[in-house]
Amino acid sequence: MLTVKNLTKTYNGAKRSLEMVSFTVRPGEMTAIIGPSGAGKTTILRSINQLIPDDSGEIFLDDQDIRQLNKQGLRRVRHRIGMIFQNYNLVDQLTAIENVLHGRLGAKLALAGMLSLYSREEKQEALDLLAEMGLADFAYKRCSDLSGGQKQRVGIARALMQHPKIILCDEPIASLDPKSTTLVMDILKKLTTTQDISILINLHQVDIAKAYADHIVGINQGLVVFDADAAALSNEAIQEIYA
Amino acid sequence: MLQKQTTSTRFFRTKLTKALALVAGIIVLYIVTALTLGYDLTSFGAISQGFAWLFHYFMPTGNVLQFLGAIVTQIFRTFLIAVCATTVASVFAIILALVGAKNAGLIPVIGIFIKGLASFLRNIPLAAWALILVFSFKQNELTGFLALFFMSLGFLTRAFIETIEDYGTDTIKALEATGATYPQIVCQAILPALAVPLCEWVLYMIENNIRDAVLVGLITGSGIGFLFDLYFKSLRYNAAGLVVLGVVVLVIAWEILSIQLKKRIEHHAKD
Repeated sequence: MLTVKNLTKTYNGAKRSLEMVSFTVRPGEMTAIIGPSGAGKTTILRSINQLIPDDSGEIFLDDQDIRQLNKQGLRRVRHRIGMIFQNYNLVDQLTAIENVLHGRLGAKLALAGMLSLYSREEKQEALDLLAEMGLADFAYKRCSDLSGGQKQRVGIARALMQHPKIILCDEPIASLDPKSTTLVMDILKKLTTTQDISILINLHQVDIAKAYADHIVGINQGLVVFDADAAALSNEAIQEIYA
Repeated sequence: MLQKQTTSTRFFRTKLTKALALVAGIIVLYIVTALTLGYDLTSFGAISQGFAWLFHYFMPTGNVLQFLGAIVTQIFRTFLIAVCATTVASVFAIILALVGAKNAGLIPVIGIFIKGLASFLRNIPLAAWALILVFSFKQNELTGFLALFFMSLGFLTRAFIETIEDYGTDTIKALEATGATYPQIVCQAILPALAVPLCEWVLYMIENNIRDAVLVGLITGSGIGFLFDLYFKSLRYNAAGLVVLGVVVLVIAWEILSIQLKKRIEHHAKD
């Protein structure tokens, strides 16, 4: 469903950040990207929805090359790709439900989005998603008053509001305590099995990748050094990835 | 151990030496400049006499109340001009800042142009603005309004750009990833997140402009500044003193009001 082919990027023409990176994310699977800090995990994720420009390669979502789209097309495709972040990246001064409704902006007329003119159905869906995340009582709380684990669940609800085919997760548990980590990973895993959403996730922790992911891509210095089912990740392979 | 002690002794002695050198440098600068200008270093003693003269003549006494009506009217008009110029300037400034801020990710050349324009507007002294505009617009209230407007536009654009750039790109990127357009991101993230600091800049600017409006009025021959000039030059010092007193009252009143407004804004933002 998502296929990355020969993705290459250099920063300021100096060090190669990504070199001929290729891998596939299958529908309804969780694919984890693991590797040492600075290996290029975040760069790969942000290239997929073109938040940062790359140099060359192909990124196919279904049959469409994201890199060839114009501004309008890119906006449409971004709307179908959810994204959650290590630092949640919510608007802290707004309430949880307002942040969740931001997931609809890509589908709305520019002016309707600017003026927060959401339909009754959209508001109900946002409330339902928050309830699903166990945050029914926090819908009208400002996000700055929420804990890290709660903020990340608001982030997931915002992504789900986009009705995504795939969710990109950029180190989503790196700032969370162990309890919230389990909660968030369980939610993400459930999305792949019950809603057939694909998940592409950057992870620091190998044990969590092994426990949750179906498929693992290992990156070292911008090169893919491992690409197989999670079960095939041996200790030798881990050593090679983190060499 | 001994080695460590001598290191720390030397460290703190060096710091003390540097501080003393700084103080000595400032004193030397004063002495050199004062001597070059030919100031009598004992002339500080005359300051109290000067103030005594000032209080004697500028004390609003006697039949000064006959001017009160005119003064209050002009002070109120001056206040209105300051508020009006600031609010119009803040509307234009926020538009320029949203286009010019680096994290907006719009065309960089335009950002550099807007920052340059803002610095240019701001770095022309207010008095110079007033003098230049008097030539084209003659002596009236519009001239004063325009002088305050251009000055505020420059200042607020710079202040707004810095506020927006401090916000960073994290949330902006997150909303871009949902497929939101830049105007949507402005209304849904940047403005709600920065409403409090932006409003505080506007309040601060109004306060500044009330004070500056007096000076501008003096030059452009309008408002309370003109009244001060008139009384002063016609030797009605006690009336001029009343003008000064009125301006001080206005500035203090606005400061108190603006502190209350800021509290309300911050409190409201927390709920």
